[in-house]
Amino acid sequence: MLEAKNLMVFFENALALNDLSIEVREGEIVAVLGSNSAGKTTLMNTLSGLIVDMKRKEDRKGGVRITVMGSLHFKGEEMLFMKPSERVKRGIVLSQERHPVFRDSDVMENLKIAGFLRSRAETKARIELVFKLFPVLKRLKGRRAGLLSGGEQQMLAIGIALVANPHLLLMDEPLLGLSPMLQADLARAIKEIRNEGITVLVTEQFARPILPIIDRGYVVENGMLVFQGTRQELAENPEVKAAYLGL
Amino acid sequence: MSLLIYGLINSIILALYTVGFSLTYGISGLANFAHGALYILSGYTAWSFLNILGLPFWASAPLAVIATALVGFLFYWVLLLRLRGIALAELIVTFAAGVAILELLTWKGFYGIRYSLPLFLRGGVEIGNVAVDYQRLFVVATGILLVILLWLFVHHTKIGLAFRAMAQNERTALSIGIESDWIGSLSLALGSALAAIAAMVVLPLGVMESTIGYEVLIYALAVAIVGGLESTLGMIAGSFIIGYGQILAARYIGAKWMVIVPLAAIVLVLIVRPSGLFGKFKELEERV
Ligand SMILES: Nc1ncnc2c1ncn2[C@@H]1O[C@H](COP(=O)(O)OP(=O)(O)O)[C@@H](O)[C@H]1O
Ligand SMILES: [Mg+2]
Repeated sequence: MLEAKNLMVFFENALALNDLSIEVREGEIVAVLGSNSAGKTTLMNTLSGLIVDMKRKEDRKGGVRITVMGSLHFKGEEMLFMKPSERVKRGIVLSQERHPVFRDSDVMENLKIAGFLRSRAETKARIELVFKLFPVLKRLKGRRAGLLSGGEQQMLAIGIALVANPHLLLMDEPLLGLSPMLQADLARAIKEIRNEGITVLVTEQFARPILPIIDRGYVVENGMLVFQGTRQELAENPEVKAAYLGL
Repeated sequence: MSLLIYGLINSIILALYTVGFSLTYGISGLANFAHGALYILSGYTAWSFLNILGLPFWASAPLAVIATALVGFLFYWVLLLRLRGIALAELIVTFAAGVAILELLTWKGFYGIRYSLPLFLRGGVEIGNVAVDYQRLFVVATGILLVILLWLFVHHTKIGLAFRAMAQNERTALSIGIESDWIGSLSLALGSALAAIAAMVVLPLGVMESTIGYEVLIYALAVAIVGGLESTLGMIAGSFIIGYGQILAARYIGAKWMVIVPLAAIVLVLIVRPSGLFGKFKELEERV
């Protein structure tokens, strides 16, 4: 479904992604594990197109020089330099790290906004799906997003991405900063999302909460791929155990 | 009683001057210093449709509004695209474009009594014992109606919701497929259209002059700085503070205080609580 080959991303002369290749097949939940500043967010932004947008804006005002190289295919189509909106239309949607929501809008309005590229009827149906996955949001639909707890904002951020109707949902550290109990709940929700027919690529710093639900995973350090394998292989690899499972 | 009514009318005129300026800024962080120039330009555009093409006013006015929106839209793609996010450069370029428009109008000889838009309502009523003409009542109605329509627009249409999204969090908006440059240019077009709508209802009250462009910009800035640029409510409050301030000062101190009040308000607010425009600019710089 998604095939990224030899991705290289530079900020000025600093290498953030170094010859990174990953693949996601339809119906999978795939994890990208890596410690802080390993390049997870840069990867997600490269796949969603945010980095191309950032590059375009920096280039025209002569700001930070961003270089992107490699190839990116989604359902057979090359899209490394495609605008974010075009990728959303084709079904790649990113839920960013640290759950950035529209803070002054209430929950319902956040979800309505997310239907920008979709028809009214489609948006309504997607919002129902979000409420089914996260009943809390339905109860809080009139509350301003800025007043929600961290966990609720994370659910809303995922909900926003879901309303945009992804075939491939990218989630950047969705479990960050949540209590272990909330992490387990959210991991379960991610599995349900996959069961709705949505393929998922998710990043995390720690493997433990996410490991039970994933099919395969990649480990990234300093922008480079250092290990890849199935859930089983990840769980049994001694280095992964030491660094990302805290064993 | 007359103070109350004239203060109200004056405040609503100020709100009409400001609403487009603060809308563009609120959505895109773009301070359009050509706002006043676009206001008066739309007046001359309507005048030309009326007197050169011979169109009736009910056609000239909407056409002028559309033309002004188009100018704002083109401003974005031609002048501002490469500067987006550099607040100071945006300010200088829009201000320069505004001055160019105004000086061009002066140079081409667009001044004098024959340059005025027709009153479309004649006559008036007495409220209490104060005579108010229908045109001014129409201005008040337009101001109120516009605020209501804008509220409905931004809360209940797709583009309006996209405006709200971009105003709150550009990157999240981007990640669900909303594009900054489209929203930026549409917000500038809408802001310009609002300047033109204000011009169509307010300009018939007097004679047109290009210097009105500077006046409208200063008044809009004063309202925006006093009320803060965060909210519609702040803008309305700012309009009423300066609107009534002007009327009171003109009555009890002297007529020239109409101009001094907004300038004094700008200086005062920037000294005492510089969190309006100034505060926002600082935030912008920190983000870069
Ligand atoms: N906008 C940027 N400008 C300069 N360097 C950046 C920028 N974004 C990320 N980087 C660098 O790229 C590397 C990867 O960062 P990031 O992708 O955010 O890692 P992670 O999400 O895994 O914590 C880091 O060294 C970081 O400093
Ligand atoms: Mg990150």
